[in-house]
Amino acid sequence: MIKRVLVLSATLFGVMTLYAQNKQLLYDFYEIPQALLLNPGMKTPYAWHSGVPLLSGFSIQAGTSGVSVNDIFANDGIDFTTKVREEVVNGLRKNDEFGGSGQIEIFSVGFRNANRPSDYISFGMYGEGFIAQYWPRDLAILAFEGNANNLNRRFSLNHIATQGEVVNVFHFGISRELNQKWTVGARVKLYSSVFEFKSANNRGYFVTTPGESNILRNTLVADVTLRTSGVQEIIDILEEDTNATQADLANLLLRRSLLGGNLGIGFDFGFTHNFRRNSVITASILDLGFIYHSNAVKNYTLNGAATNEGIEIILPDDFTNFNDEIWQELVDDLEAQVPFETNERSYFSLRPFKAYASFRYNFGEPRTRTKDCGCGVNTISRTDDLGYKSAVGGQFFMMNRARGPQVAVTGFFQQRIGNALAVKTTYTVDKYTFSNVGLGASLQAGPVNFYILANNLLGYANIPNSNYASLQFGFNILSWNDN
Amino acid sequence: MRRLFPVVIIIVLFFSCAEEQDFDQFDDLNVVPEIASSIFYFESDETTINVAGTGAFYQETFTFEAFNEAFISDNVLDGVITYQLENTTSKPLGLLIEFLDAGGNVLDSESFVIQEDPAPMLERQVAYGDGGRPLDILRNTTNIRVEGQNMGDASSQSSQSDPKIILRSSGAFRLQLL
Repeated sequence: MIKRVLVLSATLFGVMTLYAQNKQLLYDFYEIPQALLLNPGMKTPYAWHSGVPLLSGFSIQAGTSGVSVNDIFANDGIDFTTKVREEVVNGLRKNDEFGGSGQIEIFSVGFRNANRPSDYISFGMYGEGFIAQYWPRDLAILAFEGNANNLNRRFSLNHIATQGEVVNVFHFGISRELNQKWTVGARVKLYSSVFEFKSANNRGYFVTTPGESNILRNTLVADVTLRTSGVQEIIDILEEDTNATQADLANLLLRRSLLGGNLGIGFDFGFTHNFRRNSVITASILDLGFIYHSNAVKNYTLNGAATNEGIEIILPDDFTNFNDEIWQELVDDLEAQVPFETNERSYFSLRPFKAYASFRYNFGEPRTRTKDCGCGVNTISRTDDLGYKSAVGGQFFMMNRARGPQVAVTGFFQQRIGNALAVKTTYTVDKYTFSNVGLGASLQAGPVNFYILANNLLGYANIPNSNYASLQFGFNILSWNDN
Repeated sequence: MRRLFPVVIIIVLFFSCAEEQDFDQFDDLNVVPEIASSIFYFESDETTINVAGTGAFYQETFTFEAFNEAFISDNVLDGVITYQLENTTSKPLGLLIEFLDAGGNVLDSESFVIQEDPAPMLERQVAYGDGGRPLDILRNTTNIRVEGQNMGDASSQSSQSDPKIILRSSGAFRLQLL
């Protein structure tokens, strides 16, 4: 049973693992309204848009660093334990990670403000979640090898770092074209946390050394905390294991999604700046905010220091002080010195903010059919308003993580093909892979917009051997600026 | 050419490949760490031994449930207990270590005799499990009895600055975690 669970875990963390949250294909792909969620100051060539509920934005990303599923599970005849020891236990470093993220847009709507056409207003709701598990290298070695042959080696508890959450987000944003050169935007977000767990910045170690009196001395120094909110409620329901479990779980998730969980607030900011004739720079910063966790909180702590050289009997002192329950006394002392405790203290969690920036050079001549509506914004034919036929540029992504910022650099080429199709291809370098080639397309069929974006296409030649994969797609109904 | 783009996307996404994987290999995973810890430490100075006279100078039984903790007893494959005995007193001494079950029955015992100072340190390793003594000894041990014997006189005093008998012990056990 344990092995099955571990297989499932390995599958979740190995095959399905997702992460990075870098949406380099979608960023500034302004034919797609969902790109507004990556830069509220993006160019908005629409009169209005409405996402198809539940189908307007779906994304899933997968990433592992340091090892791929194929490294471990390839049917290559090599002893499995040997592969795990070499590729995982000894191969991975503490900054290697498994993780995942997904997002589903529940609904999204946008429209141009009739009274102030330079403003494009958008709002909606989406749910997202992620999990990031850093590889606990020292603890893995301790579990795999034990301490007997690792005398004097400190196994760091700092290697324990994990984080995950599911959150529902209500958002409202405005993109304002200040003039021909500048577009700025902001978005306010209300977070409804379904659940969250996080353990980071842990300290301490376990070490076995030659003893001062006895043969060996084991020392544990620990300052480890795991904060959770909403998790225990889910566990309680799952442990019920009754006919009502599924319904209870659905009700709980729905309640906590719709403002019945822990709440928070955040902001996105961004801009687009046109300079010279065909050059554009953009930047955005997302999820500057926090969630205050005050209900269904359960935190776990392991804090203290203890050394152990076994039971000691020293005469003549123990003639008079001897306690025949000396073993239990030893256990009680250790538990008192390094207590494992729980508490329900409320806490703030900062959102893992993200930042994008890009430089873009447009070239090729779009069709020129400019119309002036006299409303301050040149609402013009689609191709013209999109302002390019071809574009090339670079993007930068950064995300704040438990072990410092995670960055990615992307080069891209974008091409419009007629009025109906735009494609974008990217090459991205990050910690997961140096060979991430992505391809995305936005297809317009009448008022219906469909987009699909996929990363690390080279990895699709052998998916298990890939360290990263992502897929995004969605449907929108939209009207371009044409009145 | 333009029509090729969506075709390419579809081909890439839906006709991707996967080298053959064998997830059943997980059943072959062996995680067998070797854990080590001191077990107990016994020390008596020569004055205390002299006061007790010849023969048994100490006997005590105490609980010791490290071996029958579920984590150990369920997973232990084999192990070695190491004893180190030092004697800097002026008399030969004997120590008897007995492993007892919950009913007080002796499951195993280890007897030591060490000559008076200057005797070299006596070290003994006792294996349990494959090729050694039965693991059930460890699994069922809930108490340890220690008995010290003065096999010399009760009046002499070693010229060492702090003469004493010391027994150190530690265990190293391989556990089958997976």
